[in-house]
Amino acid sequence: MNRWRRSVGEIQARRRQVSECEQAQAALGKVIACFQQMTTCMGSNTDSSSLREELEETRTLAHRICTGLHRRLLALLVETEQGQEDREQVERLWVLFLCCLESFQQDLRRVSTLEEIFPLTQRKDRQALVNTGAVGGGPEVAARAAIVKMPWVTGDGEQRPDMRGHVLEIDGLIQEMLQRVNIPLWSVEPMQKAWAEACKDGQDEEDTLEAMMEVEVVSQANRAFGCCSHSNCRLGCIFCLLN
Amino acid sequence: MSKHSKFQTALCSRPPRRSTITWAFLPLLHQAEVNASARRSTTSSSRHQSGSPPVGAHVHFEKTVKMTIKLIRDHGQHYRPRMACLKKVEALVIEMQDPKSGVKSFEQKRNATSIPHVIAGQDITAWITSHMTVDAQEAQALGTMLVAYGFIYPLQDPKTLILRPDGSLYRCQTPYFWPAQKWKAQDTDYAIYLAKRNIRKKGILDQYEQERYRKLHKWLNHKWDFIVNQAKEQTRAGKARMKSDRVVFSYQERAYWIVHRPPPQTHSAMDYGVDRLIDPNAEEEKNSYYYRRIIIFRQQAIMRSKVKSTVSLGALVKHTMTYQSHDPFLTPCLPSNPWQTDDDTYWALNMPDVDLPTKMTVERWSYGFYELLRDPRGRADFRLFLKKEFSGENLAFWEAAEELKWGAASAISEKAETIFKTFLAPGAPCWINIDGRTMGLTVKGLQHPHRHVLDAAQNHIFMLMKKDTFYRYLKSPVYKDIQKKAISPAPHNFTDAQLEQNARNRKPGLYPSVTWQRQQKEKVRTTTLIDIKKLMANKLDRQ
Repeated sequence: MNRWRRSVGEIQARRRQVSECEQAQAALGKVIACFQQMTTCMGSNTDSSSLREELEETRTLAHRICTGLHRRLLALLVETEQGQEDREQVERLWVLFLCCLESFQQDLRRVSTLEEIFPLTQRKDRQALVNTGAVGGGPEVAARAAIVKMPWVTGDGEQRPDMRGHVLEIDGLIQEMLQRVNIPLWSVEPMQKAWAEACKDGQDEEDTLEAMMEVEVVSQANRAFGCCSHSNCRLGCIFCLLN
Repeated sequence: MSKHSKFQTALCSRPPRRSTITWAFLPLLHQAEVNASARRSTTSSSRHQSGSPPVGAHVHFEKTVKMTIKLIRDHGQHYRPRMACLKKVEALVIEMQDPKSGVKSFEQKRNATSIPHVIAGQDITAWITSHMTVDAQEAQALGTMLVAYGFIYPLQDPKTLILRPDGSLYRCQTPYFWPAQKWKAQDTDYAIYLAKRNIRKKGILDQYEQERYRKLHKWLNHKWDFIVNQAKEQTRAGKARMKSDRVVFSYQERAYWIVHRPPPQTHSAMDYGVDRLIDPNAEEEKNSYYYRRIIIFRQQAIMRSKVKSTVSLGALVKHTMTYQSHDPFLTPCLPSNPWQTDDDTYWALNMPDVDLPTKMTVERWSYGFYELLRDPRGRADFRLFLKKEFSGENLAFWEAAEELKWGAASAISEKAETIFKTFLAPGAPCWINIDGRTMGLTVKGLQHPHRHVLDAAQNHIFMLMKKDTFYRYLKSPVYKDIQKKAISPAPHNFTDAQLEQNARNRKPGLYPSVTWQRQQKEKVRTTTLIDIKKLMANKLDRQ
């Protein structure tokens, strides 16, 4: 009787942990998406030191979620054996976590390269920033990232690593994850079907977005497409030998 | 057979690089398969559905740890060559942004919102002309390069990546979306982009984009949750921004993916050829191996026979003039280039076992004896001519010597035996007529046969055939007959709809095993040597 009750308790605890991990995964996805939106502003005319600071904060937040999630997922994987109901979900979360880490690492690499090209240390560096037509972009997205809540208490008090260290750390993390745990990637079935994301709601607003993107084509009588005025030129590029 | 020796010596002036896999240089003009860049990147991503991985696969770690399952045999080639120019273009674009001396920008007004930083094509060309002191045509070429690489994107007609030197509007791309040599555009990101557009509006994807979406769904199936999740999150994060910023971001994203996943039937500037083993930007370490290689190269260069530049250039000019009409880069091939129009009549007409060759092929045979022998159809024709003249043993010996030279090492000794018995032994059935000295050397060498033991005799026979039989062949009725009968296909003129249909009805190629079997059959059929003695014996018998 006791054993049965303990195992029920165990199952419930594990379910709670799994749902915690799922929430953390969703939070991580949100943070990474916000980070990506902010990095697209880097190097453009909306770039500023405050944007850089916000990037740092978002990166720290992501780091915290990553380490916590990694630890918990590993513990769950050790606990559950093959064949139990939660195992599939944990494996799925593991693979999604791996994807998130890869995507985040790519963004971090880009950020470190962009920081080298556009250091904002001197005033004259601002002249080098590319005029992209954007006006704002940093603060709103950062605010969205900041309100992401982690489902567990952070009493960890870890040091936040600097950019390069972070990239290398994620590198090591991914390698370790791929080596230690033997979960074949193709065994994970996605829960979403193809084309499922295309749904009806939220489209009226976006119609205007598409309409705004349509700029009138400069009316030119002879040139439908083509780089030169030759009648047979179908290439849209300079590598046209008919010139 | 170095028939281009005169101008080859002039061209070998640079020491070789240490890459062990040296492919021929693929220029950007290479009329490769139109979806080459898309296909190449998708084939390198992980794409296994439920089932076991291929034998010999392992998860591959390297500098950029991608979640790809690569087969072990990729030779570690991960560097993208020929993109070192991107750094220079970046510097140019940054200079364009200078508020005092850069390109002047204005605002794009649209539906009560105005988006700044639009530049006109003519301003860009004018700025390049003055800033880099070049003429207008070169400035336009440079500008088109900027657009083709994705540093500037057009607002009107976004799929045509050229710079129009008129009032067309352009905008600079944000540095996040600049192309970089170190990394390629990832399939996962492309899938997220397509999913985002799907979320924005159902049914907005073009035909080719829907194709690619389906393929990505199949190949990135295990990541699909992540992709959809990220698409939704990025859309939501984007909604936090201002309306004009969202429009600008969607312009930027669309421009990025038009450059890196070009629509079909377009040429892409990011098409760079094969990945390299060695980082082309890294300076080579000057250690003893390097110096040893350079020393050997220079020694060989000294030992080469020198040719006057007038002579070698004259040879180059002559070669170019002769082969100009045969080069598919310079003259469109008839009926049509299969890589461009997806119609493989050209290949079918030039198969080795075809009955009637094309006029171009037949003309090419007259350029030189080696051309005639190189083309299998030409060789068959020459063999026919020799059969009529009863002097087929020369060609048979030449072919046998080629086979020895290029064949398997284990078969060398037995091949040498057969060749000796058939061609070189006194009183052999197909005895070839070479001078005594060469014959002596060859027979002596055949006691310890190696790959090149027949080289001297083969060269002698080749020269014999070239100086005598070849010219007789060119004047013979056999050649004239085939010249008359050769077909000259009319050039195809496909409309766009027909091109799309061709692309859909592409036939899979021939299996190599089928071509191999055909070759073997051909060989058996044609190398039945004419036994002269038996022939004479037959004639005598009949008489």
